[in-house]
Amino acid sequence: MGEGAGPDGRGELMLALLADARLPTGGHTQSAGLEPALRAGMDPARVPDYLRARLATVTRVEAATAVVARHVVMPDATGCGPSSGAAAMALAETWHAWAARTPSAALRDTSQRLGRGYLRLLRRLWAGDPRVLALDEAARLVTADHAADRASDLGRDQARGVEGSDDESATADGRGRAASGTRNRGAQPPRPLVLGVTAACAGLSALQVARLVGYEDTQTVAAATLKLAPIDPVDATGWVVAAQPAIDALAYDVAPLTDPRAIPAHGAPLVEQWAEIHARTTERLFSA
Amino acid sequence: MPDTQHDHAPTRSLRLGVAGPVGTGKSSLIALLCRELSGTLQLGVITNDIYTDEDARFLRSAGVLDPERIRAVETGACPHTAIRDDVTANLLAVEDLEEDFAPLDVVLVESGGDNLTATFSPALVDAQIFVLDVAGGGDVARKGGPGISRADLLVVNKTDLAPYVGVDVPQMVADATAARDGGPVLALSRLDRESIDALTAWLHGLLAEHRAGSHVPQDPGPMAPHFHADEDGDGVLHSHDDGDHDHAHGDQDHGDHDHGAAHDHAEDHVDTAPVPAVRA
Ligand SMILES: Nc1nc2c(ncn2[C@@H]2O[C@H](COP(=O)(O)OP(=O)(O)OP(=O)(O)O)[C@@H](O)[C@H]2O)c(=O)[nH]1
Ligand SMILES: [Mg+2]
Ligand SMILES: [Zn+2]
Ligand SMILES: [Zn+2]
Ligand SMILES: [Zn+2]
Repeated sequence: MGEGAGPDGRGELMLALLADARLPTGGHTQSAGLEPALRAGMDPARVPDYLRARLATVTRVEAATAVVARHVVMPDATGCGPSSGAAAMALAETWHAWAARTPSAALRDTSQRLGRGYLRLLRRLWAGDPRVLALDEAARLVTADHAADRASDLGRDQARGVEGSDDESATADGRGRAASGTRNRGAQPPRPLVLGVTAACAGLSALQVARLVGYEDTQTVAAATLKLAPIDPVDATGWVVAAQPAIDALAYDVAPLTDPRAIPAHGAPLVEQWAEIHARTTERLFSA
Repeated sequence: MPDTQHDHAPTRSLRLGVAGPVGTGKSSLIALLCRELSGTLQLGVITNDIYTDEDARFLRSAGVLDPERIRAVETGACPHTAIRDDVTANLLAVEDLEEDFAPLDVVLVESGGDNLTATFSPALVDAQIFVLDVAGGGDVARKGGPGISRADLLVVNKTDLAPYVGVDVPQMVADATAARDGGPVLALSRLDRESIDALTAWLHGLLAEHRAGSHVPQDPGPMAPHFHADEDGDGVLHSHDDGDHDHAHGDQDHGDHDHGAAHDHAEDHVDTAPVPAVRA
């Protein structure tokens, strides 16, 4: 039994809740990159391969990030929680580690928008929880880091005579979602960070949160396929069942991670490229 | 009081939903409101396009509002879900607009054209307009449905087409008014100046009520958490399913009690923390 998953099965119920598509966090706007993949010519029959590729790359990074985020806000074996300052700093470090392993601005942007949806839920359902406060503090730390980065980039760029800079809050959205006229918002924690903290609050084990990320990604793709291609819903559900060993393997691989530096860095250049193209596409069913 | 519920809510606009079947004139009505009011009110628009960003593009190209104040939200082919069961994407878009163009007076949210049962959750909008048109047939209003029966305003649009589609507008309005227990019904045509003035007058009245805190969001469907503004520019987000409520919110009692002034929401509604200042 993992830490936090009580023998009363509360973790199981919370896992079911958080994995439910009816969770009001905006999941129905997502295709996990499937829409641009199909548009780029991928055969719908290859969705199972697409799922496996994601589980081995981008989804693995997300799951590992969620596991580490959960870990750094959990009490240790003696029941002592990390001080809120220490938890916030560790969360900020985890956030930076995720950003460094998520090179696509479009994917970061999507993850941060999804993070806002989960944060809304977290703030309402676990209001005042010290772990939620640590996440707020982490957002302030990262916002300050970005401001410092921008200042030093600006100095460097001015020295070189170039304009503009890119950081992890940059958006690739060509549709004006965050185009000019938008003030610089504070940094928004990415979804796996918020999910990790939610998992801690909800009493999920490390293995459960890793499984949750793997399942959610798989089911998002399967469900989106039904809106985009003529596929029998039972077949799509069969893909999720068939992905179970891969999801389990992913979960067992990343569940022991505790250090942000240990989060794997698996790139998926095609997924990243498709995400960038999709962010600039105007006719789309799904946000990402 | 510190705001622990919300990440950012610098100002709180009147959030007005526009729903109704495909092609009845939701985008046109929003364009009309922008054209009539953008000189005097700060406006923003969210569209929920089903597949294309046609609505957002139409509104941007109408040239009635700064294009950056018009944003499209993808709904994953679930326009109904996006305004009712899971309003997250729309709510984030509304909050971003309110933050980016603060202070906004009104944010208009256009639902992706749906069937007669689609209505907005009060968790997303403070009030909603349901749009029908005469081309859909004179008996649609009689068929009822939550939007027709209980939206804050029912618009019967394109009355200029009535002679061509054989619809008796006064009869359709009378039927609709009956289906709504006397609730407001507006026969509208973009060619009818008087009807346009009646629409803007209705919105001004709603805005005044919203600012005074006397507007109570009505839910055509079941009651969900909603927002009350109060006189000093603050407000409260609350729901009406809590047992300690001494003023039941049936659909019927809504029009007749003075909500904002009669009791202090911050004190008798313990369910949710106050939302920060609404406007200057
Ligand atoms: N004759 C007439 N046509 C109108 C009026 N208002 C809108 N229309 C026309 O009705 C058609 C549909 O209008 P839209 O505003 O796009 O309708 P909509 O409800 O936004 O449509 P969807 O977003 O696709 O559901 C367009 O061709 C408009 O020009 C009106 O008052 N009179
Ligand atoms: Mg429209
Ligand atoms: Zn808010
Ligand atoms: Zn009341
Ligand atoms: Zn009340």
